[in-house]
Amino acid sequence: MPKKYALVVAALSAIALAPGVMAQDAYVVGLSGALTGPQAGTYAPVMESFKLYVDQLNRRGGVNGKPVRLVVQDNQGEPSKAAADAKKLISQDNAIFILNASVSSTYAPMAAEAKRGRVPLLYSVVCPVAVFPPNPDEFQFCSAAGSANYDSEMAVRYIKELSRNPVRLGLAAMAIPVSRGGIDHAEEVAKSFGITVVDKQIIPPPTPDYTPYASKLKSAEPDWVYSWAPWVTQVKTLEALRKLGWNGKFLAYAVPPTEDEVIRLKDGEMHAVSGNAFFNDNLPLHKEIRDAAGKANLTYPVTQLSEGWIAGMVLEQALKNTSWPPTAEKVLAAMNDLSVDTKGLRGGPIEWTKTNHFRTKQYYRFYRWDSAKQTIVPAKEGWTMVEIK
Amino acid sequence: MQLAVNIVVLAAIYALISCGYVLIYRVSRVLNLAHGELMLVGAYLLYSTASLLGGNPLTAVAMAAVLGLLVGVLVYVLLMRRMTGEMVLAAVLCTIALGVMLRGATVLIWSAQVRHPMEALGWSNPSLVLFGDARISLISAILIGATAVVYAALFGFLGFTRWGIRMRAAGQNPLLASQRGIQLHGVYALAWGLSTFTAGLAGMLISLDSSLDGTMTMIGLKAFPAALVGGLDSLAGALIGSAIIAIAEVLLIQFVNPLLSDVVPFFVLLAVLVIRPWGLFGSKEELDRV
Repeated sequence: MPKKYALVVAALSAIALAPGVMAQDAYVVGLSGALTGPQAGTYAPVMESFKLYVDQLNRRGGVNGKPVRLVVQDNQGEPSKAAADAKKLISQDNAIFILNASVSSTYAPMAAEAKRGRVPLLYSVVCPVAVFPPNPDEFQFCSAAGSANYDSEMAVRYIKELSRNPVRLGLAAMAIPVSRGGIDHAEEVAKSFGITVVDKQIIPPPTPDYTPYASKLKSAEPDWVYSWAPWVTQVKTLEALRKLGWNGKFLAYAVPPTEDEVIRLKDGEMHAVSGNAFFNDNLPLHKEIRDAAGKANLTYPVTQLSEGWIAGMVLEQALKNTSWPPTAEKVLAAMNDLSVDTKGLRGGPIEWTKTNHFRTKQYYRFYRWDSAKQTIVPAKEGWTMVEIK
Repeated sequence: MQLAVNIVVLAAIYALISCGYVLIYRVSRVLNLAHGELMLVGAYLLYSTASLLGGNPLTAVAMAAVLGLLVGVLVYVLLMRRMTGEMVLAAVLCTIALGVMLRGATVLIWSAQVRHPMEALGWSNPSLVLFGDARISLISAILIGATAVVYAALFGFLGFTRWGIRMRAAGQNPLLASQRGIQLHGVYALAWGLSTFTAGLAGMLISLDSSLDGTMTMIGLKAFPAALVGGLDSLAGALIGSAIIAIAEVLLIQFVNPLLSDVVPFFVLLAVLVIRPWGLFGSKEELDRV
């Protein structure tokens, strides 16, 4: 082969091999989430803040002196795309850890691919039953605050605590499995507490007008309405109830947009149960996230960045405990013996063992709008802890 | 009484959306499956003009409405015009691609955050108390009025104006209409403009009543059965189809199971298609032609 052709072939080979070389010099992490699509409002902020955390991590010198390379895929909230993403991330990008930030219908296909590729999969928005003790799935982990059953149990307990008289409870869910499951569980718990469940509305996602559902709910005359659902269902149900003249108390489960929405609605009878500290608490870490977000010129408000940031903290800790060269098997071992200090974003650390991929203790904080002070205030002092058994 | 108000509001929403499907189908035989996305674009245009011209809310609304019309004309000029003379199926597939593109574009331009055009305009949406303690939000009441005005204007336009008659002629026999000197591209562009204007108006009013997010595209698709039940080439059919779907939906929510509200439009659609495949008020010849 003439020398000049040999040089060209060598150069082309170097270019072709470059990603592989880069992959060997970095921890490769995959992310598949609903960056676009109808439900993107809930999931895109998580992806953005996870990416921000990884950027900050690399700026600090990476983990164990090696950078983290993040490969992002948009599954638009579609299960088939999520499965294809997971396959690509594992087989082509050689990801040693994958993150799901998407709707619950994408969980099963991504979990199947993670199992096939023997790569740990982390959920960062809502925890599925598969991560709960005592027999969690080998490859599935969850750092999200949300877990429908525990949240609903705590919500009903809170309503019971605040009410001196017998309670008439209305429930509202979106017609998706995870939301329905949470609200069905709330109904069972409420009955065991002697609370009367007067109505339960399961509302389909594409709903042009929430008033017919709210009318039915209002006609049952509830004192409290509790909703565990994507934010669109929670807020539109509340607003429709208010338009109909209902003056009772509404307990929302806090998801990324909730803090800003409590400020927008200025509804003195609206309460929120949250697994994350609101940015209104102004913790030192909140300031750090605000500063990082300000410099990065992000699309989404800083109040929506907690979940992605916590997922980033989990990733950092897991990679710190993974010796070089990293493999998915080593990351999996690290994740099965992990403790992450959430620095106040949660009431306590996230701790995982082989028999518990959720956490050993779950913490909740309650907030409400104070009409007199015109600000968000804690509705209950401190964190309320639940032992996870 | 509240039940009746809920039915009228829902019927008005479906009617305002479905008239856009009918306009385009009647003139060009194309099922516009990007109608929900065009609604979304209309609502986002209002959010943008409201953010820019917050001090002049009426100007912002008017500008958004005009921009909505222009978007429709542009969709025809830049995209659908090239489908003229091709198979209808190709044009329908083209609208599906347009919808996917618009969904992506809205996220890129406005992000996926929930938006509140009402706040950007500096308006509020009080609840009005009607007879029998029934209530309706101000925007819902305006939506009912807007739907009535849109339908009256469309009936008048198609029945008594020169361009309206040209539009009907182009829909009935495009070749003959063309030979008689009617500018088909002008007529089609106008139909797309008017259809997008009504879709945008529906999107704006729905987003003013609650909020604006990506789920609006699915609302656009939910109104599709209303247009089919009435007959795809009949404006009066769209109105009555919307009323039938709204009555079925609201009554099921109230008396049976709210979950059924999601499937009942399609159940009614199937029932009508079995009995009258061309819809309650559609023309049989249209179906044969398709």
